[in-house]
Amino acid sequence: MNEPAARDPEETRPPAPEPHPGGYPPIPPPHPGGYPPTPPPHPGGYPPAGVLPPQPGWYPPAGMPPPPHTPPAPPHGTERRQRLHPLSPALHGAKSLVVVIAGLSWSTLSRVGVGWFAVLAVVLALGATVLAVVSWYNTGYHVVDRELRVYEGLLWRRIRAIPLERLQAVEVVRPLLAQLTGLAELRLEVVGGGKTEAPLAYLSVAEAAALRQRLLALAGPQPETAAPAPDTPLVRPEASPPGRPLHAVRNNDLLVSQLLTPQAFMIPFGVAFLATQFLSGESWSFVAVASTLTAMAGILLQPIRRVLDDWNFQLARDADNLRIRNGLLETRAQTVPLHRVQTVGATWPLLWRAKGWLRLRLEVAGYSTGEADGRNRPDQLLPVGQQPVAETILAEVLPGVRLDDLPLTAPPTRARWLNPLSQPVLGAGLHERVFAVRSGLLTRQIVVVPYARIQSVRVVQGPVQRRLGLATVHADTAGGAGATADDRALAEAWALAAELTARAHEARRASRGQ
Amino acid sequence: MTGDDQAGLPPAAPPPTGPPPGPLEPWPDTVRWQSVSTDLIWVELLRLAVLIVIVLAGLAVGWAVSGLGAFGVALAGVLLLTALRTVTIVRAVRAWGYAEREDDLLVRHGLLVRRLSIVPYSRMQFVDVSAGPLERAFNLATVQLHTAAAATDARVPGLRPAEASRLRDRLTALGRDRAEGL
Repeated sequence: MNEPAARDPEETRPPAPEPHPGGYPPIPPPHPGGYPPTPPPHPGGYPPAGVLPPQPGWYPPAGMPPPPHTPPAPPHGTERRQRLHPLSPALHGAKSLVVVIAGLSWSTLSRVGVGWFAVLAVVLALGATVLAVVSWYNTGYHVVDRELRVYEGLLWRRIRAIPLERLQAVEVVRPLLAQLTGLAELRLEVVGGGKTEAPLAYLSVAEAAALRQRLLALAGPQPETAAPAPDTPLVRPEASPPGRPLHAVRNNDLLVSQLLTPQAFMIPFGVAFLATQFLSGESWSFVAVASTLTAMAGILLQPIRRVLDDWNFQLARDADNLRIRNGLLETRAQTVPLHRVQTVGATWPLLWRAKGWLRLRLEVAGYSTGEADGRNRPDQLLPVGQQPVAETILAEVLPGVRLDDLPLTAPPTRARWLNPLSQPVLGAGLHERVFAVRSGLLTRQIVVVPYARIQSVRVVQGPVQRRLGLATVHADTAGGAGATADDRALAEAWALAAELTARAHEARRASRGQ
Repeated sequence: MTGDDQAGLPPAAPPPTGPPPGPLEPWPDTVRWQSVSTDLIWVELLRLAVLIVIVLAGLAVGWAVSGLGAFGVALAGVLLLTALRTVTIVRAVRAWGYAEREDDLLVRHGLLVRRLSIVPYSRMQFVDVSAGPLERAFNLATVQLHTAAAATDARVPGLRPAEASRLRDRLTALGRDRAEGL
C-alpha cells in the first residue's frame, strides 16, 4: 500500500540521465529560501562508490536559473548532499499506521465497527505517508569540513549544522521494519542537545555503518586512533560487535532478572481481575477486557521492554570505544567513546540481592534527560550480572576503580532526623580518581563520577539541614544527574566542595597536558 | 543605591586550614564576596506588587459580588504573606553574592534553602547577559553562566550594566584561556 506512494517523487522528477530510485541530488545553487551558499558538487565526494551523477530538479525552480553544470574544484572537505534511502517514507508511513491505530483506541473501534475503523486507519496512514514522502524529498545531509549539515523542511526550512567536535556518540538503530527491509537509522548524540539530534532515518545498512565510521573518525580527539576500520558486517543481529569482547549477558539471567521486578508481581492481580470480568457474565464486554489488557500491557511494558532491548546484550572494547550491541526486535549497535563517559552507576534492586546481581549504567553527555524511558540512550553497561563481572567491566571503563573498595563514609548520626532508616546506607567518599556516593535503602545505588568530568560543584542547605548543621553536596556532570552526597556535616561539606573543585581542576589539567 | 559590601572582607590570605565558620561564607579568608545591587530589591518588590495587585483585585471583586466572609479572610491572608515576603526579598537580595577566584566563579544565594555554586571557568560553555524591562528601568542586568551540565546554577542578577559586561568579558576570556569543554 505504501510502495506506490514511496515512489511518487521519482515519477514527478524530470528524467535523469540514469534513473535510479537512490539517486542523489546535487547541491542546489544559492537559493532565496535561505540556504547558505554551498560549493558546487564534485565527483570525488563521499561515498566513493554507488553514487550516481547529479540529477537536476531537486528543488522547484522558484525563478532561479538552472544550476550551472560546472564540474567543480570545491574546497577540501565538501561533498554533495545526500538523500535518505528512498524506502524511508514507506517505513515512516507503516510506522504511523501503528500510531494511528493506537490513537484511535478501542472505544472508537467498538463505536464505528471494524470496516470503518480500517478505512479510517488506512486514510490517516496514507496521509502520513504522503507527508513523509514530501519530507523525504526535502531532506538531505552532507559533511562539510568538520560539520554534518542536515537540511529539512519544505515550508519551514531548517539547516542543522552539527559540529562534529561535539559529537558524543553515533548509534545505528534497526527497528523491526527496518530489519525486514535492510535499512538502518543513524542517531547522533551531541553535547548540550536536549534530545537526540537529527536522526537520519533511514539509510541502507552499509551507508549507515560507513557514515558512522566517518563521523566518529572526524569527531575523535586523535583521528588516527579513533578510526578503527571494522569492515565486518556492522549491524546484524547475530554478529558480535567488533573489538575485544568483554561480556555477553545470558538471556536466561535477563529474563529471570526482569521477573524479579515489582511490575512482574502485578501479573497475578491482573489475571485475577480479568478472570472476574469473564465470570461476572453481564459486565463482560469486549471493550472492558481489551482496555484491561491494554492497561496491563502498560504496567508490564517496562520489564518487557527491557527484556526486548537488552536481549543478546554484548559488550566489547575497541580501542578507546565501548561497543554495545543488544536488542531482539530492534537491534542496536552503540559506540561510546570512553572519554565521553560522565558517570557510572551501579544499582542493586532489592529483589536481585538473593541472586547477588546488580546493574551497571553509564551516562554519556548529550543524551537527553527529558525522555522518560531513556530508551535511546546508551545507558546500559550491564543489564544484569554478578559483582565480579561488574568489577571487570568497571575496570575497563574507569581503570583502578572497584565497587567494593570505594572509601565511602556515612553522614553523621544526626542525619537520621532526615533519613530515619537510610542514614547508615548513605555514603560519600573521594577515591583517587573518582567521587563516589551511595544511597538507597531498598534499591542500593552507587554513583561514580571521575573528577575530570565534574562541571560544577554545588552546596545546598535546606532549613532543616541548617538546624542540624548539615548540607548536601552536588557534583554536576553533563548528562545525567551527577552525584549527590546527601546530608554531610557542614564543615565536611565545605571541605568536600573545596576538595572536589581542586581535584576536578587537577584532573582536567592532567588530561589536557597529555 | 549601589550594593554595599558585606561585612568582613579581608583580602586574600593563605589557604584555608580549619573548618569554615559561617554557613553562608565558607573560606572567608580567601574568598572576596561581592554583593549585588540593592536596586534589585525594588525590581523584586515591583514584581511582587504586580502579582499581588492582580490577586487582590480578583479577591476584592469576588468579595464584592458574593459577599462571602471567606474572601475577606483570604484578602487578609494575602496581605500578611505580602508583608512577610517583602521582608524576605530585602534579606534575600542582600544574601546574593558572587566571587571570582583564580580558577572558578562562586555564586551563592537563597535564605531558606541556601545554595552555593562553584563553577570552574574552564567548564563554561557560554554566558548570557539579559535584562528585562523592569531591570532596565533600574539600570540592572543579569549574568548567567552555562556549563554542559543542566544542573549548574550560576545566575547573578542585579548587576550594573558596566559590571555585567565586565564580568561577561572576563568570564569569556577566562573560559577561552582555559577551555576544556567536557
